[in-house]
Amino acid sequence: MASAAAAAAPSKPEVLALLRSLLRTAREFRDYNVREYTKRRALDGFRHGQGLADPSAIAAAFADGKSQLEVARRQAVVYSLYAPEVKSVMELQR
Amino acid sequence: MMASKLLASALRRSSPSTAPPPPLRRLLSTAAAVAEPYEEASSGVVMKGVRISGRPLYLDMQATSPVDPRVLDAMLPFYLHRYGNPHSRTHLYGWESDLAVESARARVAALVGASPKELVFTSGATESNNISVKGVMHFYRDKKRHVITTQTEHKCVLDSCRHLQQEGFDVTYLPVGPDGIIDLDRLRSAIRPDTGLVSVMAVNNEIGVIQPMEEIGGICKEFNVPFHTDAAQALGKIPIDVDKWNVSLMSLSGHKIYAPKGIGALYMRRRPRIRVEPQMNGGGQERGIRSGTVPTPLVVGMGAACELAMKEMEYDHRRISALQERLLNGIRGKIDGVVVNGSMERRYTGNLNLSFAYVEGESLLMGLKEVAVSSGSACTSASLEPSYVLRALGVEEDMAHTSIRYGIGRFTTEEEIDRAVELTVQQVEKLREMSPLYEMVKDGIDIKSIQWAQH
Repeated sequence: MASAAAAAAPSKPEVLALLRSLLRTAREFRDYNVREYTKRRALDGFRHGQGLADPSAIAAAFADGKSQLEVARRQAVVYSLYAPEVKSVMELQR
Repeated sequence: MMASKLLASALRRSSPSTAPPPPLRRLLSTAAAVAEPYEEASSGVVMKGVRISGRPLYLDMQATSPVDPRVLDAMLPFYLHRYGNPHSRTHLYGWESDLAVESARARVAALVGASPKELVFTSGATESNNISVKGVMHFYRDKKRHVITTQTEHKCVLDSCRHLQQEGFDVTYLPVGPDGIIDLDRLRSAIRPDTGLVSVMAVNNEIGVIQPMEEIGGICKEFNVPFHTDAAQALGKIPIDVDKWNVSLMSLSGHKIYAPKGIGALYMRRRPRIRVEPQMNGGGQERGIRSGTVPTPLVVGMGAACELAMKEMEYDHRRISALQERLLNGIRGKIDGVVVNGSMERRYTGNLNLSFAYVEGESLLMGLKEVAVSSGSACTSASLEPSYVLRALGVEEDMAHTSIRYGIGRFTTEEEIDRAVELTVQQVEKLREMSPLYEMVKDGIDIKSIQWAQH
């Protein structure tokens, strides 16, 4: 596992694909607050990571991003199983 | 066959004769435990006679916080297949459970700068406070008879002190200034040779004020008095270092940092060693301090939450500060007569306690049904008395009654803040328009100089 992370840093298309997957998974959350947080945190995290220069740091951040994606995928399913019938007031039409 | 019979009898038992049978999913959940009639229709929620169109936006983070999905993810395996008792020494279930508990312990310890050996898991900060206050004084009862605390402590600390007073101990309740901070010179002069404990909470749950922890720790070190702090609201929000603060005991709570309810921890210093009399007797778990099976899923949740807090503290703090400014400026930009309770400089940014002049508190809260906020703290909301914390600050009764506490957290969005501003301003303006007192103030009459006629 460790050797995979120490391998070459991810390419730009791979990084963008990861971000797109995270944002797509964020959209699937049935909870307003968690949905907004996941979207925002992913974008801010990647924005912060743009400044990284060291390839091992980039690889570590990418690996971390991938494990977060797995967590988000699982939890999106759990949250949809128990989604309340009544939505948050923030989601209703005004 | 058996299952359908069980289901049929459950249906008959749980649903009242007039209401339509609830959907299957709801039967097997905790619906039976809900005492009040609770309709969930697509047109909204009706509860306690109030109808709201959707679930309110949550701004009550000091009362409790939602469980972070990453924390839930860490906990779930321990409710599914890893259900062993961590104290079982003879099989895999016990070993993996114990490993998980110790790994979580290390994460909590890392967040406060302690060693894992100094941390004991409890059911929450209330239990930790009880162990600290009563446990310490009972252990040292022969030599130490005096406790110092503040007037703004959490109810569980004040109640434990009252219990000690009934047993014959002396307790000094230090007053606070109008900004909510204690006077260090008064603390210094209150210490006696037989003082066994100083207990001051780090961040106040009602007004969010941060006490001068390093200075208090310095004074306690000087006089060699154990220092206990209730850090339930501080954990994961402000940097905590048990050595910098020189605390001997510290109470921590899980459900304020996006971990589940029912779990907390107690930090107990080993050098120099502080001793307590355990409040829970039994099999000697948790170094004999707190007997009882350690709840692995909850502990894992707290460990995951602490690890997250360490990574996210700076990011969350920046965001929450910006949101607090947005909230305060948004409200102040539209209405006057808004007072912040407690020091603005020494405060945790996620807690904003505001009083609105010339407005009645209960009616303000009733109008804010789409925003989940609290007035006073959840612990004292049963009585009609204004909060004792605000009274200790010297806030006038009428202002104390109109205080609203906004709690901002990791998951709060800008849109929620804007909506909260809009709803608050709307409600306050509506109430002020109806208020004859406000009319008088606008005409320039000084309310305090009025001689109200006696009937």
